Amino acid sequence: MVGPALALFVVMLVVPVGLSLYLSLTDWDGYSANPAFVGLKNYVNLTHSAEAIRAGWVTLLIAAVGTVLLSVFGLGFALLVNGASRLNAFFRIVLFYPHVLSALVVGFLWSAVLGTSGVVNGWLTSKGAEVLPFLSDPKWALASLIAVLVWAGFGVNVVLYLAGLQTVSKDLLEAARIDGATTRQTFFNVTLPALAPVVTVNLVLSLVTLLKTYDLVVSLTGGGPAGSTQTAAYLILWDSFHNNALGFGSAQSVVLMVITAGLALTVARLRARADQGVQA
Amino acid sequence: MSALRMPRVATVQFKPWKTKGWGRVAFLVVTSVLMLVPMYLLVVSAFKSQQDILAHPFSLSPDQLTTEYLRKAATNPDFNILKGYAVTILFVVSVNVLSVALAGPVSYVIARRSERRYRMLLLLFVAGTFIPSQVLVIPVVYTLKFLGLMGTIPGFVLFETTLTLPFSIFLYAGYIMTIPASLDEAAAVDGAGKHRVFWSIVFPLMKPAVVTMVILNTFSVWNDFVNPQIILGPGSGLYTVTTGVYAAVSQYSTDYTVVFPTLLLAVAPLLVVFVLLQRHVISGLTAGATKG
Repeated sequence: MVGPALALFVVMLVVPVGLSLYLSLTDWDGYSANPAFVGLKNYVNLTHSAEAIRAGWVTLLIAAVGTVLLSVFGLGFALLVNGASRLNAFFRIVLFYPHVLSALVVGFLWSAVLGTSGVVNGWLTSKGAEVLPFLSDPKWALASLIAVLVWAGFGVNVVLYLAGLQTVSKDLLEAARIDGATTRQTFFNVTLPALAPVVTVNLVLSLVTLLKTYDLVVSLTGGGPAGSTQTAAYLILWDSFHNNALGFGSAQSVVLMVITAGLALTVARLRARADQGVQA
Repeated sequence: MSALRMPRVATVQFKPWKTKGWGRVAFLVVTSVLMLVPMYLLVVSAFKSQQDILAHPFSLSPDQLTTEYLRKAATNPDFNILKGYAVTILFVVSVNVLSVALAGPVSYVIARRSERRYRMLLLLFVAGTFIPSQVLVIPVVYTLKFLGLMGTIPGFVLFETTLTLPFSIFLYAGYIMTIPASLDEAAAVDGAGKHRVFWSIVFPLMKPAVVTMVILNTFSVWNDFVNPQIILGPGSGLYTVTTGVYAAVSQYSTDYTVVFPTLLLAVAPLLVVFVLLQRHVISGLTAGATKG
């Protein structure tokens, strides 16, 4: 009963990961029959490549800023739409729906809205106002990319925090109310401590997801202007298939996988610790 | 009544804005408008000319509206949307069937056996959730080439199914553990084989977990871009809805009479499913988000 699934998993996942590790130690271009073994050269080159370093920083910036915004919006709106009214159910659906759309479609949609000749700028021009460089200025483009990621993604965080809010002890909230605690005191002393495990999970999940940002870059900015919004995943695919630098691309893949796996293991450990905290 | 229908958010436990109830609603209404504006623009712009889209993006006067561009997008020579739907649905169905057929039995064995090697097996599968598929697809191209499956439907379906295995097995194994083993032991005593016990006794009881996975897999296969783009490639002539949108839109990204109708056709089926099954979709996709 185990055989077929395990065989497929090994052929399509374990072997390819091993192949990435091996290729990262070669200078393979994707075509030649005998790739030369170059040791850690690709990894050393990685530390000198201005493009790879910039993509690394862009990815980390997206992950860090995006994670903070997703968590703040997630918890904030969860508190606002918590409760069983029809209106709240409607708001929850509206906050969540962009997550249903593919990142590629979301990017094309927003680039049609924010582009230089897009809807917003077309409207500004028709009113005689100046065009805004949402996607044509490096700093604006990165900010737009993060804003769209948050727009498309925070509904999931809202739902996760809503689930967390249902686990906050009613007895404690009731006790706090009877003792005359203000809503602010109740939030910081009862609700937030009870949500600690959910907060941790949200933070690290957002971080891991944002580190893989790719589709939205393709459709919203195309990595531009001038490479300013290239993420690690974008550069890895570009180097591997357009620049035929499979070895170098594989080295970047391995670094990204190690960082992602490290963060994921951190979640697992923090989760386990939070569970123990609940039991204690 | 409504408390019964929505158990997950049945009670209001924290009301910091209780005294300012209307402020809360007003704020949420403004936010909802911001969330919905892009969708509104997508829908109305699909029925307008380029000039009207740019000069009067929000207006909705009937004499501006035309289905001409939508019809053009539906018959775009770069991307046959009807064929795109058919291809994508074929992939969605194949991946879902194959995923359940493979992940179900493994999960059953893992859930019912306590030996260390089965726990190691679960760990191995779950470790797969941490590999970003955008990066994994690169070496997979060469694995598929070696197997003669590069650029083929079976190659793509097998890889896409593999991506569903880690989380499916994690979810199914956890779910089967909540099903009493005495049920399948009784069937085994009556002489049913392992496969028979799983498919006729255990599997029907796994419905909630299977529904969650089917929703998650349906949306992730429908929305996947990088894997079909790279494995099937533009050369194969096989476009999913998402890679077809890329082919149709990326070259004409400033011709909004192409962009908006194409995007509308691409997202309409998903939005319909979402509206019809919203609670299942929200819980399925949220479960998927927690897979990391």
